[in-house]
Amino acid sequence: MSPVPAAALLAALASVALIADRGWVVAAIAVGLFAVCLKAPHDRRWIYLTGTLVSALSVFVLSPFVSHVGTHVIWAGPKIPVVGYLDVTSEELAAAGIQALRLAAVGLAFAAYALLLDLDRLLQAAGFARRSVLAVGLATRLVPTLERDATGFVEALRGRGVHVDGIRGHARLLSPVLSGSLERALSLAESMEARGFGRAGRTRAPGPPWTRLDRLALAAAVLLVVGALWL
Amino acid sequence: MALAHVEQLTFSYPGAERPALADVSLEVEPGEVVALLGPSGSGKSTLLRALAGLVPHFHGGRFEGRVEVAGRDTRRFSPADLADEVASLFQDPEDQVVFGRVENEVAFGLENLGTPPADIWPRVHAALADAGIARLAERRTETLSAGELQRVCLAAVLAVGPSLLLLDEPTSQLDPEGAEAILDLACELGSAVVVAEQRPTLPLERCDRVVFVEEGRVTLDASREEALTRLDPAYLPRPARLPSESGGEGEPLVRAEDVTYSYGSAPALEAASLELRRGEVVALTGRNGIGKTTLAKLVAGLLEPDAGEIERHGSVCYLSQDPGRYLVTESAEREASLAVGGDLARARAALARVGLAGLERRHPRDLSSGERERLALASVLVADPDVLVLDEPTRGIDPPRKHELARILRRESANRATLIVTHDLVFAGDAADRLVHLEARERARA
Repeated sequence: MSPVPAAALLAALASVALIADRGWVVAAIAVGLFAVCLKAPHDRRWIYLTGTLVSALSVFVLSPFVSHVGTHVIWAGPKIPVVGYLDVTSEELAAAGIQALRLAAVGLAFAAYALLLDLDRLLQAAGFARRSVLAVGLATRLVPTLERDATGFVEALRGRGVHVDGIRGHARLLSPVLSGSLERALSLAESMEARGFGRAGRTRAPGPPWTRLDRLALAAAVLLVVGALWL
Repeated sequence: MALAHVEQLTFSYPGAERPALADVSLEVEPGEVVALLGPSGSGKSTLLRALAGLVPHFHGGRFEGRVEVAGRDTRRFSPADLADEVASLFQDPEDQVVFGRVENEVAFGLENLGTPPADIWPRVHAALADAGIARLAERRTETLSAGELQRVCLAAVLAVGPSLLLLDEPTSQLDPEGAEAILDLACELGSAVVVAEQRPTLPLERCDRVVFVEEGRVTLDASREEALTRLDPAYLPRPARLPSESGGEGEPLVRAEDVTYSYGSAPALEAASLELRRGEVVALTGRNGIGKTTLAKLVAGLLEPDAGEIERHGSVCYLSQDPGRYLVTESAEREASLAVGGDLARARAALARVGLAGLERRHPRDLSSGERERLALASVLVADPDVLVLDEPTRGIDPPRKHELARILRRESANRATLIVTHDLVFAGDAADRLVHLEARERARA
């Protein structure tokens, strides 16, 4: 499938997950997207899947304690200043489940976009806002680059007999990894300028023609969003 | 008429205490190949950036004098406006790649220059064929080796067909054959070429003229023949004195027997054997992608083999080939002290050993690339390990500094085993007692 209809389909699924009220619809979207993400190579997909699932789980665990909805108390906790009572109700759990599934679905749609779509072809197909699409493409590639840099720092420290353990150990790598990514971004910007980026009169290499499947996917994306809004 | 004309150029980076270039005048004729030599931090890269218009447009700073390329004044024309006449190839290909697919990367420059759409793919495929990498057209750029990626960057340049090609240490990560191929391709293009290199043998064999830069000033601008009689001997081509292939006599500290390693499903090293003894310096050579770094990491204990056995005795330190990995703390002395539990006195002594005395409190990111290389070296030397593994320690280091590094390694070799992974055979000859050449699917000849 071409990247434009594939991206439209993913965006539509993420939108439906945000709009839909029924938990089973959101859950079905999340499970479907998870299955799609499993097609990506293991060494690339784990960071996206772990990040998404941990975030969703955090929302599910924490939000019942900070929201105050419902009357069917499952667990009555102490009163905390500012936050109030730490009671957990069945209504809060249900709402937390839906929010967690929504976050998981949106995260997994992004993971599928980053892992499986040919971002180059998506950029090629962009007839307008090419700079914005290029910026999004480069930002998407930032995640694996940061991961590779962090691994390199840990390895260089291990090579000096320094072991990086725990959250605190990894946290001290945050600053060098981010500084390194800024340096890399500057080098890339310099290289792009030297190669004529930003010059007037830019043209576009012709992309492959759309297939029937591409047209069907785009129609499905539109129908999904319209259907979710209507229902 | 000269293609590029530099007239009394003086340039300082923003906030710099002294100019990076001082009163530089230079001309480059069409089709001429110029070797740009000089110590690390002497201003070679800045001069190349001035010819591309990146100085001052991209970097800012104080710019006096005039630079013209193909009749265009670089103060009035931006680097993007000069891109149809000037192309640059930088040291690290990873920092230049914009796209995820090879053919799109090569097409990027053509699209920027407004090439008619119907001409783009034929020119991309012709450039890939000229660079000898037509088979890589559909590959993802992140799956390529450094050598392959540098060829992709060169293909992107070939596709555009510039009048002036600027090469800033383009072969520093390549094996001798790969480096030769890249320079041959660049020099056969028919464009004027200015090539800055820290392994001067190859450019000196191919150039028409030599420009030597020192502390921002041009101290020599002469024909190749004349330059060969006037250059500092450290920069002159000389044959590598290859060390012997027989082992040392000291106590064995590392013994790897038939070790095999794969990254996921991709095999990186197959049935390699190596022994390191106390008191010897061993150079590990072999072409790009053959598994030298993997073997070095196995020796250092950073990886464990999938098959085969490896024994290690004593402490081991490993120097990564990327000096950017030694920028974790806020000062050079703290960085160097990490391996010795924060002992600043030992860290300062190690910094002094590599010529960084006086820069102890400097933030590692404020050091020049050559100084970063030396900080990385100090960060492993400080621990005085029994086994020292250095992965490409001469990348970006000028010939006199390489000579100094070889001297340091030899001076301190008695109490340890040292393994140096290198493409620089001249350096290997200067520093090592023994040469191990790694070949595909075969045992390392140890």
